[in-house]
Amino acid sequence: MRFRATANVTAAAAVSLVMTGCASTQRLPPSTPTPVVRTPADSGTLDQYVATIKANSDRSDHESDGKVRADLAAQSSSMADDCLALNPQAAACQYGKAVATGMEARAHPTQALGLLKSMLQNLDAAEAADPNYDKAGPSRVRALVLIRAPGWPLGPGDTDAGLASARKAVSLQPDYPPNALALAEALSKTGDAKGAHDGYQHALDLAQAAPSGPERDDWIHEAQDGLAKK
Amino acid sequence: MSILLAAAASTLVFCAPGYPGAAGDAQPFVDEFAKAAVAAAGWPAGSLSAVYDPTEQGGLAKLGGADAVLAFVPYPFYVEHAAQLHLAPIAQADVVGVGTKEKWSLVSKTGRVTGGPSLAGYTIVSVAGYSPNFVLHSALSAWQVPAGVKVEPVGQILSALRRVASGDQVAALLDQTQSAALPTLPFASDLKVVVQSPEVPVAIIAVVDNRLPAARAKSFQAGLLKLGKGAGEADKLASLKLAGFVMPALPADAPKAPTSK
Repeated sequence: MRFRATANVTAAAAVSLVMTGCASTQRLPPSTPTPVVRTPADSGTLDQYVATIKANSDRSDHESDGKVRADLAAQSSSMADDCLALNPQAAACQYGKAVATGMEARAHPTQALGLLKSMLQNLDAAEAADPNYDKAGPSRVRALVLIRAPGWPLGPGDTDAGLASARKAVSLQPDYPPNALALAEALSKTGDAKGAHDGYQHALDLAQAAPSGPERDDWIHEAQDGLAKK
Repeated sequence: MSILLAAAASTLVFCAPGYPGAAGDAQPFVDEFAKAAVAAAGWPAGSLSAVYDPTEQGGLAKLGGADAVLAFVPYPFYVEHAAQLHLAPIAQADVVGVGTKEKWSLVSKTGRVTGGPSLAGYTIVSVAGYSPNFVLHSALSAWQVPAGVKVEPVGQILSALRRVASGDQVAALLDQTQSAALPTLPFASDLKVVVQSPEVPVAIIAVVDNRLPAARAKSFQAGLLKLGKGAGEADKLASLKLAGFVMPALPADAPKAPTSK
């Protein structure tokens, strides 16, 4: 699963006054909104809930219509709540809630800071339940939030902690390209240009060895973008 | 017609090096601001566009364009580049939670820095580190800072503060928001504010290189001073965390404005 952490926050000084974002927002052609289909709470298994949340997240990443993104976020958040009501300790539900909260943060930038903090709590809970869920997803997503969100005192961003989380994701699932990409990005953000370059090259190698598909193409593209940075 | 064309080509450049945010994400907010400012100034709708650049070099490049008639920049940027860009302040921002002026604070490991001479061998890091003139001569004007002290920009102030607390030869110059939040850090007891700057403006709106005729500058200034006042006005600035604008009141050591055409 590909996840983009997004947070709009307020910067501190007047020109820091601009409400800004921390995500590498994709610029994609608008897609045609499709109706949101909600799984009834009493008929879904935990995996069904989370699969739908992930699908919504992927769709939201490629969605240019803010209203559709907000609808997807609301639906995902509601499904995550239903999932948690069934099993509050399940890594899947906590992780799904974190992903849904990330979508809410993107849809409602003025509330992003509080939502990101909540997201980190859900990721901590997911990691405590199953650190390998979604190929070390809790550590990987936590890393992305920490390295992309605005830092202290404006937001929860903390590149040092983000680097540690990315290293943990790689240590748990070293062959999964998104983990390598997260580590390369964290190294870049902490000023280790050579480490970042090596990391993106490693991620590219891993991605090229992965089965064909849109995710593989995205990984390769992200690694190549990272390598192109000076 | 030529007046209309000239007006349409006018741009307000926002530039805030060291603070988070990407240009694309900020664009809707600066667009909204430009629209409100133009309306308040009584200028024709659409006669001013706005653009945001989070980097010093990117901001300088945009401000170098002939269409860049106004700059909205933090005071350290103004100190560093006012002379080069011929910036003439017309207003200073009133920022929610900060005000129109702020004090910057130099933070060191407790007990390490006691005065200017004790900074020998140190590196001063700051979000305003792109402006050595501001750091060394405005913010630390009360101290004689030894030659050879390095000044470096830093985007991740938390990492820098960890270095300060761990005893590296690093001191951090914090803006008012950052220094107010110091007690929230788990290692706050290892840090000490050793000197504060005089009060300086938070951010400035300035005419660039006399590119705005005096009458238009005056009408824009009048519009800025009206922003944020009256029913419903606060909402127009809320997304930028602005409360309004006041007339510029720069410190005595600030760069002098160029003579108007």
